[in-house]
Amino acid sequence: MKAVGSLPRWLWPLVAALILVALPALLPRYQLRLVNEALIFSLYAVSYNLLLGYAGLLSFGHAMFFGVGAYATGLLVGKGAAMPFFGAVALATLVTTLVGFAVGLLLLRVRGTPFALLTLAFNALFYAVAIKWSDLTGGDDGLKLARPAIDLGITQIDTNVHAVFYYITLLAVGAALLYCWYFTRTSMGRTVLLMRENEERLRFVGYNTNISRLILFTLTGGLAGMAGSFYALFFSFVSLEAISIDMTTRVLLMTFIGGTGSFLGPVLGSGVFIYLQDYLSDLTDRWPLIMGLLFILMVLFAPGGLSGIIKNVAGYFVRTDRTKG
Amino acid sequence: MQEAAVFFLHGLAYAGLLFLVSSGLTLVFGMMNVLNFAHASFYMLGAYFAYSLLLYTGNFWLALVASPLALFVVGALVERFLLRKVHELGHLHELLLTFGLAYIIQEGVKWLWGTNPQAMGMPSYLAEGVNIFGVTYPVYRLFVVGVAVGLGLLMALVLFTTRVGIIVRAAVDDHDMVSALGIRVPLVFMGVFAFGAALSGFAGVIAGPLLTVFPGMAHTILVDAFVVIVVGGMGSLGGAVLASFIIGELQSFGVILFPKFSLALIYMLMALVLVVRPEGLFGERQ
Repeated sequence: MKAVGSLPRWLWPLVAALILVALPALLPRYQLRLVNEALIFSLYAVSYNLLLGYAGLLSFGHAMFFGVGAYATGLLVGKGAAMPFFGAVALATLVTTLVGFAVGLLLLRVRGTPFALLTLAFNALFYAVAIKWSDLTGGDDGLKLARPAIDLGITQIDTNVHAVFYYITLLAVGAALLYCWYFTRTSMGRTVLLMRENEERLRFVGYNTNISRLILFTLTGGLAGMAGSFYALFFSFVSLEAISIDMTTRVLLMTFIGGTGSFLGPVLGSGVFIYLQDYLSDLTDRWPLIMGLLFILMVLFAPGGLSGIIKNVAGYFVRTDRTKG
Repeated sequence: MQEAAVFFLHGLAYAGLLFLVSSGLTLVFGMMNVLNFAHASFYMLGAYFAYSLLLYTGNFWLALVASPLALFVVGALVERFLLRKVHELGHLHELLLTFGLAYIIQEGVKWLWGTNPQAMGMPSYLAEGVNIFGVTYPVYRLFVVGVAVGLGLLMALVLFTTRVGIIVRAAVDDHDMVSALGIRVPLVFMGVFAFGAALSGFAGVIAGPLLTVFPGMAHTILVDAFVVIVVGGMGSLGGAVLASFIIGELQSFGVILFPKFSLALIYMLMALVLVVRPEGLFGERQ
């Protein structure tokens, strides 16, 4: 798959970026909002896939970070704190990173199945805290917030304009995704891959896999928190849903449907999920059931997800050029 | 003092339910190395089946027998046609499958029975109160405790004195070796999985009148059952007994002693066990 036609590889991301930048001019407002939502969930799903696809760590508790990021943002821009836009996002991300570190210290004492189980239990704990601590989280009523304007000194940018918020999301999420991609290329990111493949050998060579795992867990926690922060700003509202097991299920479905085997799989997955949800929820109230069935069918018959299917199909149409290896 | 006795009994009733759910979970994990996230969904299905049966026939005892039997069949089918299929893809996919299954069952239940909690009846003689420790205590909770203890003893009897029990325990330890001895291990797996599902369904039936029947009931007890098998040690039946007891009582007394933190208590216990003894009280160090 070195070249489709004869275009260089670096052209594709450029084309994709140009299309994304042009979208506000091309799409009606409702469609733009869907793309915006999909972008936010892309970050959430990519951060999840760094755990699941890259490190082979199955977590059922990713929503605790997403939720903490969302609630932190809700508190920072509302309830008298009134932080500026990027300050709130940065602080929420930082808080979630610290939470990720603390939770990781405890959870990463175990591996494999017990790890999966504990993440679910911890998510339940965070959810319980969010319900009980209603002075802070608003309990069942949730938190309302107003998107702060961005103050440039000379002029203010109104973030309530759809296109403006879209560009901010694109910029921030795009930068975070680029960072994730860069991370998978660093020696740290490579270590994570090796850890999945053969941890014992890696330890023999002299790597401290516990520290690598903790760093990765902390990083993905922070990224999920950042996604949660944008989620809160996007809806101008945080409810218990953000920290519930449903939010974990959602990221799991997105990531898996998109495919855990490639970096962009989860991005594709979140796009498909958001659009499918938008389409199905118009037709039936039972759309989660359809999503669940889709997920089970993919686990059974297409464990590589959509990106796996695409790779397979594309494999049939690419000129076979075996001599080059 | 009387109050303490009442709360102790309350805790015991919940411990009974927890044990019935977590014993199947821990046995299946010990044998097949699969943590079944849909295990508590069988508990919920058991409750809903019984609720519908009770609605149409009015016979509690029929529901108590028929519902677990139905779950036995469901469990066997899930093991044979779903779990066994993804086994070769490895652990991760098995977990994902059971998680997806739990999600589908939850959504299916919401679709078929609605999202509102449903009250479930019981025979009138179980609904009465009985005088113990100088207070009137509901007979039904005592019934739950009695049934759980009875089933636990029966299970121990089967596991530790019969040939089937020896095979199951051996398969928990080393299923390759059992297979090499000419025993059809896949069939044993299916049997244990189905039996665990039936047990979980049974717990669901008797939980119905106590806790009402609602779509969130699976997730509530799943998390508690997970805490039980982490604290007790994964794969250990004795650990499940002890941990169910501890967590049942902790839940019950936690509500009166620390009303604000009652939910967090069991997690604190779990965190403590993880730090001090990550393999659980009765678990084997790996």
